[in-house]
Amino acid sequence: MNHITPQDENELVDAVRGAAKARRQVELVSAGTKRNLGRPIEADDIVDLSKLSGIVNYEPDELIFTVMAGTPLVQAMAALKENRQMLAFSPVDWAGLYGKEPGNATLGGVVAANACGSRRIKSGAVRDHLIGCKFVNGAGEAIKAGGRVVKNVTGFDLPKIMCGAFGTLGALTELTFRVVPAPERASTIALRNCTPSEGLTMLRKAASLALEPTGLAYLPAAVCRESPAMIDAALAQTNGVALIRVEGAADPIIDKLARLRNVFSKQDIVTLEDDVGDALFGEIGCGTPFAERDTDIWRLSVPATSVYDAVSESEAQFWYADWAGEVLWLALPASPDIDERLRKITTKFGGHAMLFRADKNARARLATFEPEPPARAALSRAVKAAFDPLRILNPGRMYEEL
Amino acid sequence: MLELPEPDEQILARREEIAAHLRTIVPDGVIADDITLTAYDGDALTAYRQIPLVCVLPKTAEQVSALLAYSARENIRVVPRGAGTSLSGGALPLADAILVSLTRMSKIVEIDLDNRCVVAQPGVTNASITRAVEADGYYYAPDPSSQIACTIGGNVAENSGGIHCLKYGLTTHNLLGVELALPDGERVRLGGKQTGDGGLDILGVVAGSEGLLGVVTEITLRILPKPPAARTMLLAFHSVSDAARTVGEIVAAGIIPAALEFMDRRCIDAVEAFCAPGYPMDAEAILICEVDGMESEVRDATERITKLARDSGAHSVHECHDEAERRRIWSGRKAAFAAMGRLQPDMLCMDGTIPRHALPKVLSKIAAMSERYGLGCCNVFHAGDGNLHPLIVFDVMKPGELELAENFGAEILKLCVEVGGVLSGEHGIGVEKKGLMGEMFSETDLAQQERLKCAFDIRGLLNPGKVFPTLHACVEQGHMHVHGGKLPFGHLPRM
Repeated sequence: MNHITPQDENELVDAVRGAAKARRQVELVSAGTKRNLGRPIEADDIVDLSKLSGIVNYEPDELIFTVMAGTPLVQAMAALKENRQMLAFSPVDWAGLYGKEPGNATLGGVVAANACGSRRIKSGAVRDHLIGCKFVNGAGEAIKAGGRVVKNVTGFDLPKIMCGAFGTLGALTELTFRVVPAPERASTIALRNCTPSEGLTMLRKAASLALEPTGLAYLPAAVCRESPAMIDAALAQTNGVALIRVEGAADPIIDKLARLRNVFSKQDIVTLEDDVGDALFGEIGCGTPFAERDTDIWRLSVPATSVYDAVSESEAQFWYADWAGEVLWLALPASPDIDERLRKITTKFGGHAMLFRADKNARARLATFEPEPPARAALSRAVKAAFDPLRILNPGRMYEEL
Repeated sequence: MLELPEPDEQILARREEIAAHLRTIVPDGVIADDITLTAYDGDALTAYRQIPLVCVLPKTAEQVSALLAYSARENIRVVPRGAGTSLSGGALPLADAILVSLTRMSKIVEIDLDNRCVVAQPGVTNASITRAVEADGYYYAPDPSSQIACTIGGNVAENSGGIHCLKYGLTTHNLLGVELALPDGERVRLGGKQTGDGGLDILGVVAGSEGLLGVVTEITLRILPKPPAARTMLLAFHSVSDAARTVGEIVAAGIIPAALEFMDRRCIDAVEAFCAPGYPMDAEAILICEVDGMESEVRDATERITKLARDSGAHSVHECHDEAERRRIWSGRKAAFAAMGRLQPDMLCMDGTIPRHALPKVLSKIAAMSERYGLGCCNVFHAGDGNLHPLIVFDVMKPGELELAENFGAEILKLCVEVGGVLSGEHGIGVEKKGLMGEMFSETDLAQQERLKCAFDIRGLLNPGKVFPTLHACVEQGHMHVHGGKLPFGHLPRM
């Protein structure tokens, strides 16, 4: 097995062309924090993209930020913070879930895995912020897609399909994001001692209030007790908690919190310090409450109104909900037919389940990503072939045939 | 001038037979006589007209599937169409193609307030989505100027924007899912009421694909709770560059208004003559700025914008006091195209995006071009996101003026790309700008996009002649078709 570390885009082009010519399959890695996310790959070679790193162009006044794909997330976020700006989709680092050191994840990996956190309910996912990119496709061609302005419908929107493609369509080299001003304040209230049914209903209620919440999560009692940030926030003894975060300038925040207190006046409400709330949502997005748990982890996405039923039918003892209930994190003991149980849920309510952490055998054997109906699966394969005709880039990472 | 694929004589000769077959699929919705077809001979890119082979108006997704399966079997081209309001010729018919008009699929299928979404058929108009949910305190954010007429299906195809997309995003950002009929008639679901669908983000490329990848038969849209307060401000400037600079300063200050629109002197005059919204007549440029949210958020933003505008040279800053005044101010903006249309018989509405810092430079260059071409041009545009809409007025009956106007437009778009922008912010490429795609993309970049097209439409039957400068067959693109689940190079050992 060769371990190739291109120093620039040209070397990457050479590496992929070489692999294509020799029909060698390639695993694309950068920091490698998410190598155990998705189906395991048995590639011939490893191409390490981490040297394609650095900020290319940052124009704070234009709200545009271009980086090489191997740029560490922490470096990018620090540069944005200096200008009181941020990536609106709240990128997350899942390293802790896989026994890796947090802080090394790269933006390329964030894009490839569509790794977005709690702000998704307001601002959308990674795909809604990646306005342009460069990548090397499976034929070893350097491709430019999208642009460097926020509003662009020139040609197909290829940057979107690169998000969450897990490197199956191309090796990302350069990424252009639209960024947003960081809010003056982000304030979180906790509705304590609410049952799952009550808590999930309150999240949906909060989503309907025109307060543009940037965090809507529910953690049941069992998870509150174990989460480090919940302990720091003095919420560990709470019998289930719904968290609602709102953002804005100082005065509007006061009004938004007042409105929330008024709407939820019958609940046991406490307002958290801003940084405590942010830390909580940071952990929620990174899956930290389950990092130490010795089980498999699934993420299940169903329509918000079906979340409570989905939890019951999953039989999960340990779970929590983010994005107003549109995503569920489930800690489930490994079992041979677990994916069938979850697929019954997604078939019944609509949605998808992903095996987020499990041992290699389970990830190879179970349907790690939501199985696609035949016509859709054929379309996915045709799309893959349009980018990677020889099927040499991260083959089988998402689906066995992709 | 515009180049479209050569019509297939054999198909043209089969018109009666094709119409007869389509009637077996959609008995009450096939138009095949030239006189009635004239109503379908183009879209809002009015300089180009073409009678389609036949027009079919399906009522159900099953009919869409059946007619696509038929056209695929018979190798007949298909052009999908919503309300025909495309400004880039996306719905321009072809002489040998079946025009599929989706306007009879106009039902709202479901309003699901608990999940904050609406499920609609493609022929529902944009404005009627908001109308269906506003009594419950919700609205649908993208609001193209043509929202009374344009359809949601067309909005998905063109990834339409509008005045409020500065804060709330384009169609793609408010789209949860679609049911898509592929060119062979097979229907697939992409996304749904939940977030994402687990596989490749195919929905992401379908939005804005200009009818080249499939025909959307059902759409799930995110609706938003209506903000409790909104305030509109009118900022007047003695100079275009002061107004342009203010735009950059508002955004750089960390304020994202719901809308931030620009109008120059020529446009103000035309609009005042047309519907008298009461714009200041001593201004060289105005900005219409709207902020929304909680009352205190609106107040906070209004105060900051007022200060920024005054510091950058605004000679008048006016806040609307009531809903009637707000509507009057916006009526002028929304009537701008119509008002300009009265100046000359014909008009080209251009659409490109530039970095905001380039606004003063680009506007002065456009003014110089207007002189050079001897054609009137005014600027009214979505300033907040740098999305220009220069309106070029001309008279098609005067020999050479159409060509002159097109050259003028092309020069503006090339300038957009030159300063770091793009060819289209929200109108799409269609037939209008396909010749300019090479300004932005290399042959290799375009070939990649064309291979994606082939993944959906191996026969190249869906809306051919749009978006791409030259029409390649999929084999030329080195496309390997995955057939019956078999992979290319399936015989190679996989390790």
